[in-house]
Amino acid sequence: MNLKAGPVAVIVKAFFTALYGVPLLWIVLTSLKKSSDVVGGSLLFRPTTAAYARSFNGDLFTALGQSVTIAVGTTALVLLVGVPAAYGLARTRGWVASLGLGLLVVLQMLPQTAQVIPLFSLLGQWRLLDNVGGVILADAALLAPFATLLLRPFFRSVPSALEEAGAIDGAGVVRTFWSIVLPVARNGVLTIASITFLLAWGEFLYAVRFFLTPSNYPLSALLSQQVSAFGIDWPGLMALAVLTSLPILAVFTATYRLLRDGLTVGAVK
Amino acid sequence: MQATTVRAGAAVSAAPASAAGRVNRVRRGDVTTRHRWAFLLPGAVLMGVLGLFPLFQLVWMSLHDVTQATINAPTWAWAGLHNFAAGFTSGNSWPALGRTLVVVLVVTVLGMAAGFAAAVALRTSGRWSGFLLGLMVFVWALPPVVNGSVWKFLLGDDGLVNTVLHGLGVSQPLPFLYDPTWSLFSVAFVGAIAVIPFNALVYRAALLAIEPEVFEAASLDGASRWGEVRHVMIPSVRATTAVLLVLTIVYAFRSFDFIYVMTYGGPGTATNTLPFLGFLQAFAQYDFGLGAATSVLAVILVLVLAVVYARSIRKEEKD
Repeated sequence: MNLKAGPVAVIVKAFFTALYGVPLLWIVLTSLKKSSDVVGGSLLFRPTTAAYARSFNGDLFTALGQSVTIAVGTTALVLLVGVPAAYGLARTRGWVASLGLGLLVVLQMLPQTAQVIPLFSLLGQWRLLDNVGGVILADAALLAPFATLLLRPFFRSVPSALEEAGAIDGAGVVRTFWSIVLPVARNGVLTIASITFLLAWGEFLYAVRFFLTPSNYPLSALLSQQVSAFGIDWPGLMALAVLTSLPILAVFTATYRLLRDGLTVGAVK
Repeated sequence: MQATTVRAGAAVSAAPASAAGRVNRVRRGDVTTRHRWAFLLPGAVLMGVLGLFPLFQLVWMSLHDVTQATINAPTWAWAGLHNFAAGFTSGNSWPALGRTLVVVLVVTVLGMAAGFAAAVALRTSGRWSGFLLGLMVFVWALPPVVNGSVWKFLLGDDGLVNTVLHGLGVSQPLPFLYDPTWSLFSVAFVGAIAVIPFNALVYRAALLAIEPEVFEAASLDGASRWGEVRHVMIPSVRATTAVLLVLTIVYAFRSFDFIYVMTYGGPGTATNTLPFLGFLQAFAQYDFGLGAATSVLAVILVLVLAVVYARSIRKEEKD
C-alpha cells in the first residue's frame, strides 16, 4: 500500500482537523468569554472564568451526582445482563440463537422516541417515574442490545478448545466461563463498559421525560434544557458543556485504544 | 469476482461442517447446551420487560384514545385505526415522512462518502493521522447535547460560519436554523458530522486488513493513487460498505438528539421528522394515542431495515 500521504490526503486531513477541531476549540473559548464578547466570534478577548463561577453551585453538583449514578448504574446493569447474553449467543446455535439475534437487532434499531412513549406510561404504572432507578432501567434496556451485539464476536473468537480443556479438568459451565472465557474476552468487556458509560452519560431524552422535577436532572438533561431556552447565555452554556465533557475526556483517554480496535470487531471481518 | 468464489466455496463446505458440529454437540452432551441457554435469561428478562413489552404497549396505545388525562387510567377507549387516519388527514404524517427521507439521504450520502474519504486519508501511520483519528472519535463520543449546542452556536446569525461567510463577501447572514429549508439541511449536516468518525473508524480497519500483495500487484500494473482507491480499496471493502450503509441509514432515520437541541422541530414544523413528530404529539400535544400511531409507522420502516441488516450480517458470518 502506498503509505505516503499525497497532496489530496493532506487537504482531506486538514479539512477534517478543522471540521472537528474548531467546534471543540470554540466550546472552550466561548466558555472563557464575557457575554458581551460572544458576538462576532473574535479570537481577541480577555479570558474570564466568570461563566464557570456562575455554573458552580449546588444544582451543578446535584446534576453531577445524578449523572454519575445513572452512568455507573446503567453500565453495571448492562454488563450484568449483556456479558452472559453475549456469551450465550456466541455458543448456542439453532432457532433460539437466531431469534435472540434478530430481536437484538430490532431493539437496537428502534427509534428512542418510539420507546419513550410506552415507557412513560409503563414506568408510571410501576411507580418508577421521577426515580433514578427507573431511568437506569430504561437506559440499560436501551443500551443492552447494542452492547450484547458488540460483545458477541469477542466470545466467538475464544477457541472452544480452551473450554473443552476446562471441562475435561472438571470445571462446570459457570466456572469455565468465569475463569477461562472471561479473561480471554476481557478487552471486549472493557470496550462495551466504556461505550455504555459514554452513551449513558450523554443520554438526555429519558432523563428529561422520566424525571418530573428538573432538580433531579443529570448534566446532559440540564444542558438540553438550557440550550432550548430563549435568550441563551452562551458562555454559561459552553462552560456547562465543558464540565459535562470532562468526565467523557477522562474515560475516553483511558479507553481510547480499546474503543478504536474494539468498535470495529463486529463490523469488519 | 474473487469474493464470490470464496463465498460459494464457503457455502459448499458449510454442509459437512454443520453435520460434524451436530455430531460433536451430541457427543458433548445436552448439559452444556442447556446451561448456556441459561446465560441468556437475565438479558431476556430485562430486554423483554423494558424493550419488547413496551413495543406491544406502543401498538396497543396507538389503537386507543390516550391523553394526558387518561394515561394512568386502568383502561383506554378503543379507537381502532382512528389515530393513524388522523395523522394522515391532519396533513402531518406525509410531510414528516418526506422530511425523514431528506435527512436519511443527506446523512447517508455525507456519512458514507466522508467516512470513506477520511479512512483513506487516515490509514497512514503518523502523528497527524493518529491525532486526527483520536479527535474525531472523541467528538463522536461526546454527548449529543454538547455537539448540538456548539453547532447551534456556530450556525447562528452571529456564529462563526456566518462571520466567515461575511468575510468572504456574503452580505446577509444565512438563516441556517430558522429558514424551513436550511434548518432541515442543518440538522442533517450535524447528524452526518456525528456519524462520520464511526464510519471512518470502521472503514479504516477494513482498509488496513487488505493484503499488501493486492497493492503491490496494482502498483506493478501502474495504478495511480486514484486508481488504487477506485480499483483496490472500494471493491475490497464492499462487505463493510453493506453493513455500514444499513447502520447509517438506521442512525439517520432515528436521528432525534440534534433536532431536539438545535431546532426543536421548528421553525414551524420544518424539522418534524417522523420520530420527532411522534414525540411532539405525545409530549407537547399530550395526545399519546396519536404520537404512538406516528411512532408505529416509524417502527414499521425500521423493521424493514432490520431484516435487510440481519440478512447481511448472517451472510458475513457464513463467509
